[in-house]
Amino acid sequence: MKIKNIFRYLVVAVLAVQLTSCTSTEVEQKFDKTPTERLDAQKSELQEALLTSPEGWKAVYFTDDKQLGGFTHLFKFTSDGKVEMASDFNLASTTKSTSEYEIQLGSTVSLVFTTKNKIHLLSDSNPLTAPNAALQGKGYLGDFQFLYYGEENGELIFKANRSNGDGTSKEIRFVKATAQDWTDLPKNIDMIANVVGSSSRPLFRLFETNDGTTKHQFDFAFTPKTRFSTSNSIETGSTAVNNMGIGYTPTGIVVSPAVEVKGQKLTNFVYNAVDGSFTATGTDGVSAVIKYSDKPLLLTDDYKILLPGKPYAWFGFYIDDYTVDASTNSTLFFTELDKINAMLPQGQEIASVQLYLNHSLGNFIYYTFVGRAAIFHYVDVVEDAAGKKVILKHKSWNGNATAAAPNFLASFDKYLTDANGIYVKKENFRLVYTNTVYTFTSSSSPFRMTTWKLN
Amino acid sequence: MKLLNTYKKIALFVGVLTLAACAHEDQPSESQLNFNQPAKTELDKWIDANYVAPYNINAQYKWNQNTVDNSRYLFPPTINKVQPALEIVKQIWLMSYATIGGADFVKKIAPREIVLVGGVNSNSNGTRTLGIAEGGQRITLFEVDNINKSNRAIVSEFIHTIQHEYIHILNQTKPFDEQAWGKITPSGYTATWHLETTQASRELGYITSYARSNVVEDFAETASIILISTKAEYAAILAGISSPKARADIQRKEAIVVQYFKDTFNMDFYALRDEAEKNTTYVINN
Repeated sequence: MKIKNIFRYLVVAVLAVQLTSCTSTEVEQKFDKTPTERLDAQKSELQEALLTSPEGWKAVYFTDDKQLGGFTHLFKFTSDGKVEMASDFNLASTTKSTSEYEIQLGSTVSLVFTTKNKIHLLSDSNPLTAPNAALQGKGYLGDFQFLYYGEENGELIFKANRSNGDGTSKEIRFVKATAQDWTDLPKNIDMIANVVGSSSRPLFRLFETNDGTTKHQFDFAFTPKTRFSTSNSIETGSTAVNNMGIGYTPTGIVVSPAVEVKGQKLTNFVYNAVDGSFTATGTDGVSAVIKYSDKPLLLTDDYKILLPGKPYAWFGFYIDDYTVDASTNSTLFFTELDKINAMLPQGQEIASVQLYLNHSLGNFIYYTFVGRAAIFHYVDVVEDAAGKKVILKHKSWNGNATAAAPNFLASFDKYLTDANGIYVKKENFRLVYTNTVYTFTSSSSPFRMTTWKLN
Repeated sequence: MKLLNTYKKIALFVGVLTLAACAHEDQPSESQLNFNQPAKTELDKWIDANYVAPYNINAQYKWNQNTVDNSRYLFPPTINKVQPALEIVKQIWLMSYATIGGADFVKKIAPREIVLVGGVNSNSNGTRTLGIAEGGQRITLFEVDNINKSNRAIVSEFIHTIQHEYIHILNQTKPFDEQAWGKITPSGYTATWHLETTQASRELGYITSYARSNVVEDFAETASIILISTKAEYAAILAGISSPKARADIQRKEAIVVQYFKDTFNMDFYALRDEAEKNTTYVINN
């Protein structure tokens, strides 16, 4: 019966195979369609979505908001593979031009701008157009192959194919554009000067957040080429920073990353032409503002070196020496120097402006010239302890108490003898020589002079 | 044995069932892949007529991340620069070789693909890569957006790139005697060639500074400089070298180039140069 047993087992085995062999061929379908069909569907979904907005799409592209700002792009797609584009990269790029696009299928569906247009300006590795030395050969780190991540509230969500150095890749949102967006695009360029700041505005700028009850202050420095601003807390003991990439809008700026105040994310700042400020407003009194100030952000006791009873101190600005190169001299200061020269006769010009305090002759501003005798403006030094500044109060010109100010000096001199006082700051930089550098700033106008302490 | 017979029958039945069980599978339906061809523009048709059909060379100007170095910041060319660039390539390179090497020469030994890139390809040492030849199959030409047919300096640089890269393609197909070449000026090769001046390099027996990067580039530079220069211009280059040894070294390299073209492709290198010059003049004047 041995062979019979073998047959029995064989039959059982074959039957078992028979029963199981066809049960697992059907894989459980998680989706109704095959991957190919789904990719194709996504491809046509994107193609159709691109064509749905009659005035095209707008995207503010922040390529890397840790070091660069945002660039507004407008796109209008047509079904024949053409795209009209304009951007606020520069004034020339606000004029629209046509190129080609494709919806490509790779690991996922992506929108690719296949021939050159405005968006490629961000990927130009030409060293001549690099935004800074660190980005040499990398342009603005831009991409023009955008991976499609679907639609949300009528906005198309993409991510750049090119990832940042840290492995993340930047999200780009296409929002529906309006006809107004196209006509207003050049206004973004006009906004640049307002963010850069004007020499006619006060000298100091700050960034201030307000959570409804407390305010926090930061300094504010902006680099136009990278469209990036840096802000460090000016509060003692605080190391808070608020660095932002900035994009321009017709009415102000849009920032990334968002400024977070009391859990609210602020991104849109509105420009106020009256005082030059940019304000982002949230709810419940939350706001953030970039604004000007005549008052230095940090007041020091450096002014005390000028006060009566202190040792003799001598400061000097020289037109033909390194003091003239200091970036701390303001535009208004140079304008006023030019005014003096314009009013002086041919062959004469201002050579230096010096301050003598607690000198044996008294306190005086000492003007020297090429081609004419020096002029003494004697002053009294009055302390404004609350405002941490000093007022140089007129006493006499060349010792003559009734003499009027020389007409060519009157305009310049009134900034140093500002009735509201001047701020004095011992700077932490040197101008070639080892002498300490002091700046004198009018407290009511953007006038700042840089000097060496000469004794 | 009756039971065994029954088993045999069952076994047979089951066997038939097993064979038949999967026979009714679905027949493959039509492909799910979308193989519709994209609509061709006028430019695409021009490329078909002037490159694909006669030479079996594809000229790719639309961005394709798979044919470029994605670690670089590059971008595709402006569309109206594509045809002028390809016209220059065709006139000066394809037609010159066709005339001298025979109509089928470039059809046999040619890159199968020319990739055009609009922007600059910057290197970390501050130099720019103007062209790349890969595996005898593909030439990538950069800075196509700068093409201006009426500017002789730009056209010359662009042609220099093409000639240089095509020499690479020829070398990648049929190697030259690298050892013999390397013995002529063995000591002057340097990775920091970009810090050298052309004149100083010529005094050492190299036609350009880039030629000093390695033997392969030296060959391509020597051949391409001769090709883009007129006979008189090349003679002037040699005459400008004060070291008799350097001049002799360059001439020895020239002899290897000429011999290489003669032995490998049965081509008169000087006739090729004259033809290229004729075509260059034609491009600049038209």
